[in-house]
Amino acid sequence: MKQVIVHPERCVGCMQCRTACATAHSKTRGLFSATLETPLPKPRIHIGAGLHREGFPNRCRHCDPAPCMLACLPGAIYRNAEPEAVLIDPDRCINCGSCAMACPFGVIRFHEDAGAPPGKVVAVKCDNCVGRQALGLIPACVEMCKSGALTFEEPSEASKRKSGELARCFSMAGGAEGEMVASPGFALLNALKKAQQEMNERK
Amino acid sequence: MSWQDDRFKSYSIAEDAQLLLKKADQDQIETVWERHEAQQPQCGYCEMGLSCRICVMGPCRIDPFGDGPQRGVCGADADIVVARNLGRMIAAGSASHSDHGRDLVEVLEKVAMGEAPGYEIRDPEKLKRVAAEYGVGVEDGKDVLKIAGELANAMQEDYGTRKKGLQLLDRAPQKRRDVWTKFGVTPRGVDRETSEMMHRTHMGVDNDWVSLLLHGARNALSDGWGGSLIATEVSDVLFGTPKPVTSSANLGVLKESHVNILLHGHNPIVSETLVEAAQSPELIALAKAKGAEGINLAGLCCTGNELLMRRGVPMAGNHLMTELALVTGAVEMMIVDYQCIMPSLGQVAACYHTKMISTSDKARFPGMEHKEFHPENARELAAALVREAVENFALRQPGKVYLPVAPVKMMAGFSVEAILGALGGSPDPLIDAIKAGKIRGAAGIVGCNNPKIKQDHGHVTLAKRLIENDVLVLDTGCAAVANGKAGLKQAESIAMAGPGLREVCGALGIPPVLHMGSCVDNVRILVLAAALANRLGVDVSDLPVAGAAPEWYSEKAVSIAVYFVASGVTTVLGPTPPVTGSMNVVKMLTGGLNDVFGACFAVEPDPEKAALFIRGHIEAKRQALGLPFNKV
Repeated sequence: MKQVIVHPERCVGCMQCRTACATAHSKTRGLFSATLETPLPKPRIHIGAGLHREGFPNRCRHCDPAPCMLACLPGAIYRNAEPEAVLIDPDRCINCGSCAMACPFGVIRFHEDAGAPPGKVVAVKCDNCVGRQALGLIPACVEMCKSGALTFEEPSEASKRKSGELARCFSMAGGAEGEMVASPGFALLNALKKAQQEMNERK
Repeated sequence: MSWQDDRFKSYSIAEDAQLLLKKADQDQIETVWERHEAQQPQCGYCEMGLSCRICVMGPCRIDPFGDGPQRGVCGADADIVVARNLGRMIAAGSASHSDHGRDLVEVLEKVAMGEAPGYEIRDPEKLKRVAAEYGVGVEDGKDVLKIAGELANAMQEDYGTRKKGLQLLDRAPQKRRDVWTKFGVTPRGVDRETSEMMHRTHMGVDNDWVSLLLHGARNALSDGWGGSLIATEVSDVLFGTPKPVTSSANLGVLKESHVNILLHGHNPIVSETLVEAAQSPELIALAKAKGAEGINLAGLCCTGNELLMRRGVPMAGNHLMTELALVTGAVEMMIVDYQCIMPSLGQVAACYHTKMISTSDKARFPGMEHKEFHPENARELAAALVREAVENFALRQPGKVYLPVAPVKMMAGFSVEAILGALGGSPDPLIDAIKAGKIRGAAGIVGCNNPKIKQDHGHVTLAKRLIENDVLVLDTGCAAVANGKAGLKQAESIAMAGPGLREVCGALGIPPVLHMGSCVDNVRILVLAAALANRLGVDVSDLPVAGAAPEWYSEKAVSIAVYFVASGVTTVLGPTPPVTGSMNVVKMLTGGLNDVFGACFAVEPDPEKAALFIRGHIEAKRQALGLPFNKV
């Protein structure tokens, strides 16, 4: 079954996945109209900044077994079979925070949501866009990502591709230079940002 | 030491900044550094120049990894998108300096017409020199105001479209002008080149990235040899050509016992009238009646530099100090004109008693009161504002005042005229010292602060490394303030210089780092370089000189850097410009331009490495000139 796969080395930190995610989970499903809604829709994908200020996309891994599900006393968290996703029932959620404490990835947030009873703060996280998938659409974050940091594919396919890339990398090590850099410009930008950051942190 | 202290030390090398950051934290003031943290990670498409918002078939972005879209909706590839974006940055920078220059020309015109009380021609000799360059008759006995009016008119023609080339290009060596002619980059009109850049970068006009970059050079040259140069020359005519002056720098220039007025921005038109008003015996008496010992004016950014250069007004700080200056709680009023004024300032001031005043018809800010200055009302309005500031002294909350550092002494005022004056009227002594190798060469350290680089670290480290290796440093703008605060601009600072530079500067009684003014005054560096090249009969690109912008942030800095390179001065940038999305553009800027202008760019965030690069470059130029050279 296809899943959202994160390739952090390709994240350029543009945050467009976040606006797409918030829009996809709004009442109106339009970017501009979504910004006028109450409550304001919030993204369920989070971008951390790495040591050298590089982007790192962070979203629910839909673990199995899922620590959040095991920690949820009211039984609000459940597994959806098709498409596969760990979901939260906002009616059952008691906003206790146990799931967030159990989550190793810090991807569960608490706020009002268009899908929850009005005025109720609930646990919110990535739902694998089950609603969009039912309509034959791919998850909103993947659709928006143009740098290939988020893909929607069979995990085995992604792993196979990565094996191939890795293998070519090793054979290049003794051969032609630089051919394996997917984007020399992005590599240059990151090298300069790294130098800048290391200089700033020097005492 | 707390982690907070460590955080503040990673933000700035300046003690006043570190201490005031701590107070800002206690006062719950958000600063530029926190906002910069909150923006991380910043958008990679934008950092690489790969996002395009020019038309509404888009917005578009190009995937740097090659799997996603490789062309915008219009069909522009990465090279075109990057070149168009860079072109528009140059246009914005050039427009900013040039509009600043135009405002000065308008004051000159009003002075000539007798409609600008409070302004006068302070340097009639310079007026005549510049007027003669423009072909204005300056015969003895001709009325100075008549000359001023004719010069203003002639300069306005430089802004228009009737000329084939700008007047002041004549100051550049013939060889340089030939290069510009050969590559078709001779700037024709100040506004024309900016306007043409906006046209070329519209969808469906210039889609050759090389041709876009060349027009970028022409656009920047229309700033360096046009708008900025006119701004500097007219400022000198109206307010006096700077002469060496001793003053002081850092937040310690604010005085607990005085009414403190901060002047921030870039154009001296407004602030010069405030200097007059603050000397009024009546207002000083009023300040004393209110319990203050007097009225203390201090500058920030380039308005500060303009006043420092001509009046010795002390300098409170550079770009990243503007919020922290308010956090001292000791500022009765901040008066701003335009450029580099963070829109956050009004909000910071709201936590203290500080009154915030905006003065330009084209620059308004949240949380500021708008009092519009025009040549006609400037004198009256200046007096009214100083009075208001004095009255605001009573509202100062002593418990909120924090002035933890002592000011550092600094020399400024090194216009080209002043430098030649110090040399005895001719560049020959400087040329002789360079030929003999006592001075290896010269470097212009210019530009801003940027929270991406530890504040002042880039400027000060580079300046120290260069002077200790006998490279004379000329600086302007925020770089000049950084080096002043770091104590590199005192006659005694020669102790930090190498033996050759120490000897030469010691004999002349000047520091090894010469403050040449505000950021429009970067043209003073160009004019000096041109004078040296003319004297030697070589091109600017043959000289053992280099430029550096270790902490630049603004579009104006892009224009400056490009006119430096197009004028033949190889320039090292600290922060990376948004061009890495196109390796073709990167290669052109960092190498290919050598074949066009005999100079190119380098990017090096680490000032230690930038110093080595500059020294290597200078020694290579010495070798090419047949002068004694070292291996770096």
